[in-house]
Amino acid sequence: MKKWLMSIFLCCGVLVGCSEKTYEPREIVSETDVCKICNMSIVHNAYAGQIALKNGDYEIFDDIGCLMEYMKANGEDEVGAAYIKDAAKNEWIDVFNAVYVYNKDYWTPMNYGVVAFNSKEAAQEWMTTEGEGRLLAYKDLHDFKWGIHK
Amino acid sequence: MKKIGLALLFFLFMSQTVYADFDVQEAINVAKAGEIVHIPAGRYRGNFIVTKPITLQGEEGTELIGESDKPALRIENTTNVSVENITLSGKSKAIVVSNVDGLELRKLQMKDVHTGVHIQRSKNVRIQEINVTGIEDHYSQKGNGLAVFKSEDITIEGNTIEQVQDGIYVEEVKRIVVQRNKVTSSRYGTHFMYTSDAKALFNTYVHNVTGLMIMMTTDILLENNTIANHFDFNGYGMLLYDVTQAKIKHNTIKNNRTGVAMQKSSTIQIETNDFQMNQTALEGTKVSNDTLASSNNFTGNILTARSDQQGFQLKNNFYDDYSGIDLKDNGIGDIPYVAVSSFGQWMVRQPVYQYFVASPSVLLLTSLDQQINRTEKNMLVDHTPKLVMKHVQEKNKMNVVQMLVGLFLALSSLWLWKRGITE
Repeated sequence: MKKWLMSIFLCCGVLVGCSEKTYEPREIVSETDVCKICNMSIVHNAYAGQIALKNGDYEIFDDIGCLMEYMKANGEDEVGAAYIKDAAKNEWIDVFNAVYVYNKDYWTPMNYGVVAFNSKEAAQEWMTTEGEGRLLAYKDLHDFKWGIHK
Repeated sequence: MKKIGLALLFFLFMSQTVYADFDVQEAINVAKAGEIVHIPAGRYRGNFIVTKPITLQGEEGTELIGESDKPALRIENTTNVSVENITLSGKSKAIVVSNVDGLELRKLQMKDVHTGVHIQRSKNVRIQEINVTGIEDHYSQKGNGLAVFKSEDITIEGNTIEQVQDGIYVEEVKRIVVQRNKVTSSRYGTHFMYTSDAKALFNTYVHNVTGLMIMMTTDILLENNTIANHFDFNGYGMLLYDVTQAKIKHNTIKNNRTGVAMQKSSTIQIETNDFQMNQTALEGTKVSNDTLASSNNFTGNILTARSDQQGFQLKNNFYDDYSGIDLKDNGIGDIPYVAVSSFGQWMVRQPVYQYFVASPSVLLLTSLDQQINRTEKNMLVDHTPKLVMKHVQEKNKMNVVQMLVGLFLALSSLWLWKRGITE
């Protein structure tokens, strides 16, 4: 009997594990995708971001600043996953674990000057060629003053 | 016969690749400040640079071809430079200007370039009569026609731009006039970002994704522009995002998906414009209460106005779908015009609903709205709708010459007729 119960619990555990939803990033379609916040069409893919909502919808952003504005307005409860493009490799990386660099002279579609990387080393390497910047983590972006800086 | 064929082939191919002997860079290097460098007709390959106050003057057939991925012409760290009557081509940017005080670019042709003119940290710049034709590719693979960054006192006038990402891109610029330009087949006709004290006058924007894109900009005047045929899924005649103090006057805005859209904006005056045949003429989300649309003509639009809960003010406009009467005979309808539409509000939240815009169910819903919304007092209500587009008082005029000719002809006819009877 015990063996049967153990088997049932094990199966349930496996089923629950299997049913856990994963949220993969989707490719940008420049013809139709526009930023959820500012309405600009996404033509500079290297700075794009996206949020996969738990209901299966995707919200697309042209700049990490717009993505953060969405987070601020809507909270993170419905967010399944959030991705931003790695500025060095043009690959999707997790918004919450990314390393960010700010320099007011870095160009981004909204000119906020914040770019993302998958590691501190990649960010350091970027700074050696593009100019020194301030390292930021995701939590720092909540208080960041988005806009152009003199 | 074989020789003739070879000779023809020689001319056919060599005519494309012959370059002139004149050394453009050497001529620039030896020119003294204030001198004019004449560049004779011919094709010159290279990456040329100007760092002194001179004029580069070409003639018909003068072409500078940028090599590799570098600009054809750079103008840097100088004052009072003019460039005129030259064709520029190449894979990269045609002209890059940095730190220049006093620049005039006139009568330049740029074809198949990634970016036409790129100007940064400069002032007192005038760009006139330039033609830019971009490459045939997706907008994301192209650069801008004319782009100005972090500069002051700029005039961009009488240029024709097609097939680029943004026709005229303006970022962090103070005091700029963009006038009498024509931009077609591009992503945005003119794109203002972080700019103040700007004017866009008498421009024509046709068949772009969006005609005028204005973002994070303060104090802008948009007057006498023609903005038509922006009907893509994400197309707008004008889109104002985070804009403060804008005047939109005397523009013709027709056949766009949305004529004028405002988001997060305040103190916008929209007056005396013609909104014709747009899917939605006016749209506002998160706009301040002092945003006012007055004395405009709305004709042939499917939806006149839609907004979020905040709304904006409508005053003294003409609406072709207004069904009120004017018993007082003062040209103003006796009952308010209510532009609120349930379907319009839904379309603000879900743009894909636009595909149902003229369906029978939506027409029925809109008719019901017009009956039910008569009680609406504030949001998207015009209490003084005009009944005619323009009140023109025709005075009695007399053309003396016409009258005398008419009188002469009448008397002559009478006289001939009488003579015919008596004879």
